[in-house]
Amino acid sequence: MNILIPHKWLLEHLDTKATDAEIQKYVSLCGPSIERIYQTEGDSVYDIEITTNRVDSMSVRGIAREIAVILEQFDVKASLKPSNIIKNVDVDVSPTEMLPLPKIKNDPKLSKRLTCVVLSGVNRNQTPDWMAKRLIQTGQNVHDAVIDITNYVTHELGHPCHAFDYDKLMQTGGEINVEEAKKGETFSTLDGETFTTVGGEVVFKNGQNEIIDLPSIKGTANTSIDDSTKNVLLLLESIMAEKVRFASMTHAIRTTAAQLMEKNVDPNLAEDVLLKGIELYKSLTDAKVASKIFDEYPGKKSLDPVKITLKRINEYLGIDIKLDKVQSILEQLECKVKASDDLITVYPPTFRPDLSIPADIVEEIARIYGYHNFPSILMDTPIPTNRQKGVNFIIEDRIKRFLSSIGLQEIYSYSMVSEEIALKTDTLENHLKISNPLTDDRIYMRLSLIPSLEEIIDQNPQTPNLSVFEIANVYPPIEGNLPNENLHLGIVSTESYPKVRGIVESLFENLFIEKITIEIVSSPMVSNVGIITVIHQGKKVELGGIKLLQSNKVAVEIDFAKLLQAVSTHPNYQPSPKTAVMVEDMTFTLPPKTLVGDVINSILQLSKIITKVELKTKYKQNYSFVITYHDDDKNVSSVDVEPLRKKIPKVLDSIYKAKLVGTV
Amino acid sequence: MTEMISIEQLELKISDIKSQLEKEEGLSKADLQIKYLGKKGLFNELAKIIAKVNYQDKKSAGQMLNELKNFLNETIEKMELQKTKVKWIDLTQPGIKPKVGHMHPVSQAMEEITRIFERIGFTRARYQEIDWDWYVFESLNMPKSHPARDEWETFFIDAPTDKKLGKIVLTTHTSNGQVREMERLNSKAPIRMINIGRCYRRQQDTTHTQMFHQFEGLVIDKGINIQHLKGTLDYFAQEFYGPGTKSRIRPFHFQFTEPSLEVDFSCHICNGTGFLDNEVKKSQDQRNKCKFCKSGWHEVGGAGMVHPNVLKAGGFNPEVYTGFAFGWGVERTYTLKEGLNIDDIRLLYSGDLKFLEQF
Repeated sequence: MNILIPHKWLLEHLDTKATDAEIQKYVSLCGPSIERIYQTEGDSVYDIEITTNRVDSMSVRGIAREIAVILEQFDVKASLKPSNIIKNVDVDVSPTEMLPLPKIKNDPKLSKRLTCVVLSGVNRNQTPDWMAKRLIQTGQNVHDAVIDITNYVTHELGHPCHAFDYDKLMQTGGEINVEEAKKGETFSTLDGETFTTVGGEVVFKNGQNEIIDLPSIKGTANTSIDDSTKNVLLLLESIMAEKVRFASMTHAIRTTAAQLMEKNVDPNLAEDVLLKGIELYKSLTDAKVASKIFDEYPGKKSLDPVKITLKRINEYLGIDIKLDKVQSILEQLECKVKASDDLITVYPPTFRPDLSIPADIVEEIARIYGYHNFPSILMDTPIPTNRQKGVNFIIEDRIKRFLSSIGLQEIYSYSMVSEEIALKTDTLENHLKISNPLTDDRIYMRLSLIPSLEEIIDQNPQTPNLSVFEIANVYPPIEGNLPNENLHLGIVSTESYPKVRGIVESLFENLFIEKITIEIVSSPMVSNVGIITVIHQGKKVELGGIKLLQSNKVAVEIDFAKLLQAVSTHPNYQPSPKTAVMVEDMTFTLPPKTLVGDVINSILQLSKIITKVELKTKYKQNYSFVITYHDDDKNVSSVDVEPLRKKIPKVLDSIYKAKLVGTV
Repeated sequence: MTEMISIEQLELKISDIKSQLEKEEGLSKADLQIKYLGKKGLFNELAKIIAKVNYQDKKSAGQMLNELKNFLNETIEKMELQKTKVKWIDLTQPGIKPKVGHMHPVSQAMEEITRIFERIGFTRARYQEIDWDWYVFESLNMPKSHPARDEWETFFIDAPTDKKLGKIVLTTHTSNGQVREMERLNSKAPIRMINIGRCYRRQQDTTHTQMFHQFEGLVIDKGINIQHLKGTLDYFAQEFYGPGTKSRIRPFHFQFTEPSLEVDFSCHICNGTGFLDNEVKKSQDQRNKCKFCKSGWHEVGGAGMVHPNVLKAGGFNPEVYTGFAFGWGVERTYTLKEGLNIDDIRLLYSGDLKFLEQF
């Protein structure tokens, strides 16, 4: 939450000569962050971020209190001015002119406090310039004094208040019953919107069970001030924070009042706000106090003390802070402190419910002492050696470096995909679905990286021969449990199949993975799909797949966990051959659709001295192979090779109807 | 009387012959050999001089002549080689670059972050992106319907709620790894984890993407204090942004740390001043304010001492152990690097090659 605080308004509560720049610098170091200073209506206005636990600072006076303590730490004189609110309020009218208070029935379980007063004869005067200026400086709308006073005192003192149209309220029966709404009741807010309750919202009701206010959140039309308002009931209540939050979130009515009250505003503030409100109504709208002040405060209690040892404080801070320093910091923050031996008992003020455990006390000492005053050192404790299983960031980085070095672009695409993209992989039912997506192109948790990468290639038509890759999770659901999060390596390319396969092969060589095999998936449903397998420790492992997409792009997807099983940190070193190697080319004409991989295997199987068969070139149906002959034990000679030279064409002819080009 | 010759004079003559050879053009190898090393060649002519050298200098003169002979031989060989091998090339013609791709900037940032933290004993981890409400919020001291949850715009998965662990959500921060790391280590110190992972929040504008990455540090042991947190943050800032970088920590509030801190790094655009001009004399409202930062500082992320309730949720006794944690966005931390000036974080996930190819 941010609050805007004009400097001059602040000085009504704070006695200091500090400049706006000094205040910004020092307060940001030890307290709330003053993010910016605006110049509005001739004054510096602080834009201050208040954390959710410090609703006590969501007012001019609350900020003044914080600033006073902090500036003193920097030897800048500052003090919180005493409150100038007039405490004694008398009824201004004769007994006959007095107006009766409504009949109020509070439920202490729902509201900690309820206080109100009737103000009669309000004039709809214009909001005076000084107040209008401050409202503008703090980003609020200016209406007229009767309405603006409530916003003004809330901003100044930090407890929301509400002005009812007294006569409208009395016409509804003159009762205020604090209750929880049942399901299906309706109410309309003053801006004309109608809501139906879900049950459990704290509401004010009249005797006829009608909702006449949504307390601590927003007024309802049937009791709100309008143009004809003559008399006002100024009321403050302290609805339980979680109840306020429930109703405000349920109906998405996020008023300033709700955002304050859901964070436990100190009910003690209500008295000052009411008194200040009365003062302003009298002076700015010529109102008269027409009733006694009603105040029921069943929830009044002091906060529980927090016990902490000096030793514990110093363990957290790593310095040797003295007891009197601890005591003085806490007392400046308006805590009461009792110290005996090592044990410190802290009694927080009612506006600091955030101080409830020892670590909260540590924080107060640390921040006021100043984080900038602490030394900065690294740990000398033992370094853990127990690493997470199933991850290998070194291999991930190595793959990323390798693929990007050989021309592939790494991509980060969204894990959530549109219905259209999801359907490219599987049925929608087989995907995890986000129940509250932000945009309709990010709804399903993807099961494959391929469609996302394909989409990215399509979005970059200006780049020819584009190959992209991504290492990211896919999320196959598990019923009744979290989904699997399987890390995949995906590659999609507009290059030809041999080139993409070559990328995979050289990647695997770089990871010291033994030779891969592509097993064709033969099914009438799919075509051009192969499974990438390797032999690892004598066992066949399926690492993933390679396929030709309908768009003619080639896609590869590899399961990272399986890849990790097959990788090695070093090669299986082979000494260079000591005996001579013979290499020769042979060209065959293969009938269409002959699987060249099988042809190569057939040649290899003919003899153990055929150690390597490579496809050198391919022209139409003519395939030229480079055949390597090698024997570890002796130099291979023509005598050894001659019979094989004859055998190869014979065998290939019989299996594949392959015809040798030329003669041997 | 025979005219005597000094060693210096001999040296001069030798160097004359050397440079004469080096300037030769047009003669064949054979011609060169005749001219310099032939019977009546320059070398032999010179060698005759030795008779005119003082007796005591004869030895050095002999060595010098020997060296000259070798030089002539080698140089004639080399000149021959040059003639046959070297052809003219245009050294000003542009290069042909091999085709290279690019590692994504987020990967580059993560690699750098990992390296920085590993050097001071952190172990990298990665935890669930899709996790139970328990790990994302509840175990981090954020009970259901707590206002603090508002800041984490959460995506929910359409799946049944678990009685104990709650709803399934896309994790909004890497902090879900805190209790998970404590559980993985069976609640045994030391913990010094750097958890880098994908996170998701329901927001999208120039500084937010629905998907982003965070890195989360978690240190738990006996005797860990605020100074260690400060030391770690300072170390990172200096390593990642360079020695000139200032860092500061300020009070903040998170449910899962106490004390809680906001971490700022000085803005490199305005050098931490908050203003783009140097006219200090002008009043604040007249000066040209830096639009990239908040008064000279960039908020990078949160940090703090691990809340006792979080330690308890992870099985550590908060009376005995203390710890600190921090969590920052990878993208935000990275884009603050000097000179990067990426004004729209969504570019990172656009898949636009014109952007990605620059990294």
